[in-house]
Formats: sequence, structure tokens, C-alpha cells
Amino acid sequence: MTNSRYGQNDQNVVIIGGGPAGLTAAYQLAKNGLKSVVVEKDGVLGGLSRTVIYKDYYFDIGGHRFFSKVREVETLWKDVLADDLLRRKRLSRIYYNKKFFYYPLRSFNALFGLGVGKTILVIASYIRARLKPIKPEETFEQWVINRFGRRLFETFFKAYTEKVWGIPCHDIRAEWAAQRIKGLSLLIALKNAFLKSENNAANRKNVVRTLIDEFYYPKFGPGMMWNAVADFAKDRGADILGNSEVEGILWSGDRVEAIEVKDNGSLKIIPGTDFICSMPLRETIQRFKPTLPRELLQAAGNLRYRDFLTVVLIIKKSDIFPDQWIYVHDPDVRAGRIQNFKNWSPSMVPDPEATCLGLEYFCFEGDALWNTPDADLMELAKKELVQLGFVTSEDIADGIVVRMPKAYPVYDSASLGALKTIQLFLGRFKNFHVVGRNGQHKYNNQDHSMITAMKAVDNVLGAHHNLWTVNEEQEYQEEISPDMSRDTAWAQILTGPLAKMDKLAFAAATGTVAGMIIFLATIFLLIKGGAVVGPTLALLGQYFVGYTVTVKGAFIGLAYGFILGFIFGWLFAFLRNMMVSYVIFRAKKTAEREKLKDFLDR
Amino acid sequence: MAQVRFPNGRKLWDPVLKLNVKFLAFALGSVLGLAVFVATNWLVVKGYAAPGKARMIGPHLHLLSQYFIGYKVTFFGSLFGFGYGFVLGVFSGGVLGWIYNKIVDLRHGG
Repeated sequence: MTNSRYGQNDQNVVIIGGGPAGLTAAYQLAKNGLKSVVVEKDGVLGGLSRTVIYKDYYFDIGGHRFFSKVREVETLWKDVLADDLLRRKRLSRIYYNKKFFYYPLRSFNALFGLGVGKTILVIASYIRARLKPIKPEETFEQWVINRFGRRLFETFFKAYTEKVWGIPCHDIRAEWAAQRIKGLSLLIALKNAFLKSENNAANRKNVVRTLIDEFYYPKFGPGMMWNAVADFAKDRGADILGNSEVEGILWSGDRVEAIEVKDNGSLKIIPGTDFICSMPLRETIQRFKPTLPRELLQAAGNLRYRDFLTVVLIIKKSDIFPDQWIYVHDPDVRAGRIQNFKNWSPSMVPDPEATCLGLEYFCFEGDALWNTPDADLMELAKKELVQLGFVTSEDIADGIVVRMPKAYPVYDSASLGALKTIQLFLGRFKNFHVVGRNGQHKYNNQDHSMITAMKAVDNVLGAHHNLWTVNEEQEYQEEISPDMSRDTAWAQILTGPLAKMDKLAFAAATGTVAGMIIFLATIFLLIKGGAVVGPTLALLGQYFVGYTVTVKGAFIGLAYGFILGFIFGWLFAFLRNMMVSYVIFRAKKTAEREKLKDFLDR
Repeated sequence: MAQVRFPNGRKLWDPVLKLNVKFLAFALGSVLGLAVFVATNWLVVKGYAAPGKARMIGPHLHLLSQYFIGYKVTFFGSLFGFGYGFVLGVFSGGVLGWIYNKIVDLRHGG
């Protein structure tokens, strides 16, 4: 219990934001018998993970797979939705030049898609990049070129990446991409290379799911999940206030005491003992009252976001493509992705003879595209869909535009510095916890956002998790597997044998043993004696010039044995290291491909 | 290969392989013992497969008896051969592993 000048003494948790993080917090608090009040700016729950409904068509703005390697998260989803949580097999390909390409690229698919000539150029470019990589590797462009070659970069990655981020690839820092390729991914790729038998049906549930590409999905989109989570919390005493924007976060000393919320034109104070905030971090800092020092406000101002808008079109065709979504890599169209909501869940489209597509355009809030009137955006989307060859203009029946601000926090050098400043400031508050993607200005998946909220609730209940590092540790744990003890054992099993063998040491040891064997064999026969000593062993003299079955010959034999053993040992170690390097190289390539795929997804 | 670590600082793998001397000795002993056992019985079976031929079975392999006292190119001899081969392999593998690890410690700091 605390004494607050706002009159709140019993424990009461205030949750800012009704997205996955905020609602997970409310759910967890409700399970622990604690009341909370959730304050959501929008009229719709789900935050970035919402379902929009238009004429009985359900749209998932952004496309949200429900997939987690964390048992608690999956349990929550299953507990909440049960049979309404569908299991879907993922398919999402690259669409380029009116052809579909799998990623990771498959050789024949790429060959037939690109054509023989272009494929040869891609291969040549790849070899050139491997032989002469760009150094130093400072930008995302250089990172991709060094691994895939310039041709492949320009064909598949450049246009799409620049559509998503709105900045040239040479302006994206390499460490943002490189940090995602961790040794853990390599370990997973190595583990799966050695454990192919785990892919059989009996063990599928234990295999890292990214390699199987399935996911869960609520029947009517992510909004169904989050509304159900909210209902669970409400049934246990939580208050959920929609259309309520937080105008102020009232703090004093090392505590946050209350929030100000706009309510029918006036400001309402909601006190609390603990606060869990998933509001965009920039706004969070800007709304602290009393106002924070200029340094912090400047830092907040350096946090930028990438936004997007979706033009949803209802098409009078039952099938267009089988993917849940496709990446549009053609530089001639502005759309970056196209969602096919029917393939996420058939229930999302009421008419089986129709399809509902969402063309996603990445932009910045307030830029020319964002400010384009809806009618013009619809025309643009229609034109591009026809241009891509999926439909004719007569097939398009209806549509709507949905704008999604602050979809992705931008990482650049300014934001990284700003985050450090803000983290330092927020560290003083023991009762204020920032969670979620925008709450932490971190590229968190939905499940990671949920985990930050779960850990925040633990902190409310007395734990001391550092929420800023929770997801880094979580990714580390997830990369291994839900079963840490088993994978710790695997880590130990794999990492020893894969270490480099010291060629000189092994050569010297083998040479010594070989030389000693010949020496001792010779001496043994000399000691044994006889009419003719070692006539058969003397045949070694055909190879070891000067060798005889005598004491002098024993030493000559020792030398020859050492040399021969040394050469054999060195070659053995060299070949062994080469094969291990190849295995690690293959695993590293697999890990990089998986992470680039992960990067494209996010 | 650059050192890779877990977030908690633990090394993902050691940079240089160290041999497990006991395992190497056992493995080499088993392989050598088995090689002698199989080689001996191969000739024994081959010899019995061509009955009536008056010739010595395995005259060259028999030379091993100069080192392996009691060894003969017979089934029971193959058991002796297994034993000797095993001991020789264990000794060789153990020495090899021990020398290797010592040199690695010297070169890379144990």
C-alpha cells in the first residue's frame, strides 16, 4: 500500500494501451486477483494487432501470425480461444516480375523465374562477392551484398527494403541486420543439421517451429484474440476504457502517481500504485508532467517510426494466390506487401466467391502518401493490382483504406542514443514499466510484447526483471528451444567436437606415436634375437631408405615413422577442420537466410 | 573462426579442440582389436571355405605372433589378437591424445 497525493492507497495497476502488451498485463493481473484499469486511445482493442471489419469482411492490418516458442504465451492463446484458434501452414513468397519466388531461394524455382542468363549473372555476382567482399561492412546494403552478391541484392532485396523503410539501403546501418545473426541461430542451424531425425512426425513438436512454418491464427483475425483477452480481464474486475487518450503522466520523485485522461473534453485523473505503459515511448516521455528536461524531450524527439497504410480491396474472384501474403519486390509498384485475408482464415471473407486483398504501402505519417485522399489511394491500389497481373479492373468490387501509424520503430544512430538516455531516466521509477513494441521502441514481435507485459506483472508482484533485456534473453532462450536443459546439453555436445583441431599438435602427436611404434617394434625383435632378425620388418627398408633391423635402424625407423605420422596427422587434421568448417559454413548460411527471412517478415 | 558467445558471456564453443584421452584410447583400442579379430577370422573362414587344400592359413598375418605372443591365425588366436590389438590401440590412443593436449596447452594456454 502506498500513500499517494491522488488518494490511491490500495494496489491498483494502471495500464496504458490496449494492445497485446497492455491486454496481456490485464489478463495476468486478473489471474493473480489484481484489478487494473486499461486506458486505450482508440475505440478498437488490439493496438497494432487488430481486426478491422468492413461489410462483414475482416481484415488483419499488417498480418499477425500467432506463433511463439514460449509455452506460456501459447498457453494463453489456447486458453483464451480454444477451437477458434486455427493452425495454418505458412506460405509467403516474393513476387517479382510476375513470378513467384520462394525464400530461401530454391535453385530451380529461381532459375526458371529469373531465366538462365540472369541466373548466371546472379551466380557470378555471388562468387565475386565471396571472393572480394566489401570491407569495412558498415551498411545493410554491404551486409547483404557480401552474403548474396550485388545482383541478388538489387533483384530481390533493395527495392523491397527501401519501400519498407523509405530510406536507401546504404543508409541503414549494418549492425541492425548483423545483430540478428547471432551464434545462437548458428547453434540452432547446427543442431538441426545433426538432428534430421527429429523432423519425423513423432518429434515434430520438439523441433524449432520456424523451420516448419506453421502458425496459429484466430478465426476472425487478431482482434478476436484481444477482445477475448479483454473480456477475460473485465469479467474479473478490470476496467477497460476505450477512446481515452492519456494526456499526462504525473510523477513526483521516483514514482509515477497518476495519469491524466481526456474524458468528454475534460481531464480526468486516474491514480495508481503501478503503471504498465505500452504507449509509444516518444509520447510517453513527452507526456510526463511536470515536463521533463530538454535533454529527455530531445531524445524523445529522436525516436521515429515507420507507418503504413493498407488499401483493402474486395475482389470478385474466389482464388488469386495461395499465400497468406506476398512480398512485392517490383520497384515499379509502390505496394510493399499484399495480404490475402482469405488465406489467413476463410472465415474472414463472408463470400466464398470473393477474395479480400490488402495492399500495404509503407510511408511516414504526414507524408505525401499518407495524406493522399482515400479515393486516390484506392485508384493507385487498383492500378497496381492490375499491373501486377492478378486481376482486371472489373474484378474489383469495393475497398477501404486503413492507416496504421507507428507500425515500426526506426533504428538509427539517433534513436539508439536517445533510447539510452530515456532508459536511464525511466530506471528511477520502480512503479512504471514500459512494455510492448512501441512502449520500448523495440522491434518486438507480438509474443515478445506479451512477454514484456508478463514480466512487468511479475515486477508488480515483487520481481525485479529488467524489462529492457527481457526479450534479448527471451530470443536467446527461444533460439535454443523451450527445453533449456536439453539444449544446454546439446550446446555442450555440439560445441566441443566442432572446435578447430590444432594441426601441428595432432601431427606431432601422430608422428610421435608412429615413430615410437616402429622404434619399439624394431627393438623388440632385436631383443628377441634369432638366426635372422626381423626379415619381414626389414622390408620396411624398401620405403624407409637406410632402415635395417638394428639399433641404428630403430632410430632411423623412429625418424621415418615420425615424419610419416606427422604428415598423415597434419593431413587428417586439415581435412577434418575443412569438413567441420564446411558444416559450420552451411549452418551459418542457413542461419543468415533464416534471419534475412525474419528481417523481411518484420 | 571468431569467438561467439551467449549473451551471458559463456563461450559458444572453445576455439581449439581438446581430445578426450580416455575416449580416444578406448576408440583406437576397439578399432585395432576389432581389425585384428576380423582380419584373423576372415582368413580362418576363407581357409575353411577351401577345404582339402594343404596350405597354411594366413602366413603373413601369422607374423603378428612375433609381437603378439600366443597369437595364431585361428579363432582362439583371434581372441588373443583382439586383446593385443586393443591394448596396443589403447596405449597408442592414450599417448597420442596426451601429447596432443599437452601441445595444445603449450600453444594456446591451457
